[in-house]
Amino acid sequence: MKVFSNTETFNYSWDEVSTANWRKYCPWNQKSTHVVAVDTLSRTVDPETGILRTERLITCRQSAPEWLKSLMGGCIDESQVFETSYVDPRNKTVTMVSTNLTWSNLINVQETVVYRPLNEHQTRFEQAAQITALCGGWQRLKNSIEDTLVKRFRENAAKGKEGFEAVLAMSRRVFAEERERERAMLLQSQAANIRQAATA
Amino acid sequence: MSQSLAPECNELKERYDTCFLKWYSEKYLRGIGTTDNNECSTLFKEYSTCLQALKERGIDKLLDEAREDYKENDATLMGRKKCKSPRHPGISVGI
Repeated sequence: MKVFSNTETFNYSWDEVSTANWRKYCPWNQKSTHVVAVDTLSRTVDPETGILRTERLITCRQSAPEWLKSLMGGCIDESQVFETSYVDPRNKTVTMVSTNLTWSNLINVQETVVYRPLNEHQTRFEQAAQITALCGGWQRLKNSIEDTLVKRFRENAAKGKEGFEAVLAMSRRVFAEERERERAMLLQSQAANIRQAATA
Repeated sequence: MSQSLAPECNELKERYDTCFLKWYSEKYLRGIGTTDNNECSTLFKEYSTCLQALKERGIDKLLDEAREDYKENDATLMGRKKCKSPRHPGISVGI
């Protein structure tokens, strides 16, 4: 088993990060292009705790090293990940637990990501992944598979941070524009009311 | 927004995602929308129905296995299983 862990700080509030997190893999993110599809399978709010629980199916397409391909018979470039996430609005945490659906008889990848506020303007991102190759016997082979995946995690994490920063910046801009539009509409209607009152 | 694994569901997914994001930022985070019966539920049903196409690819079987493995995790993260002993032992917690 190999472990990969990583922490990052985003200079955005927890509200902003937790919102933008839902569109982390949109066209604004030009770095995490290995994620090709994200589907929401279920979503519920626990009436007691207020926790929002979401199940998503994430499809990745990323070419595997040639030696691994020849070992597994070629078609391993597309893989599916099952993610369950929990937003706890009272404690202000987002916890995302993911596991691989594809090749789960050979490799087991368990990833946990937590977003929590550092202060009013900053959010902490904590990521930990456990990678275990399950193929019996050959320790050297298991090690190579695990090392390859840890390396992949490290590369994707760096790209993910960069890509998510772009999504956060864009989200802030779009929300600001939206607020501006709403404010303009409100002023317009107030002006109309004043005009109406003046002519009456 | 991101694409759907079933391209025929892209439009329904886009409509639902947009609705959800609005609900999440404007209501849920402000403590207003805490029910499942929110304005996006019809859109979600339409999108889910479309996703049934994934069943034919055998993905539902894999999902069931993954869900089974996650039961314990799920109970902890939904706050139903307390990691620490409750502060008021007299009051029962959970469902």
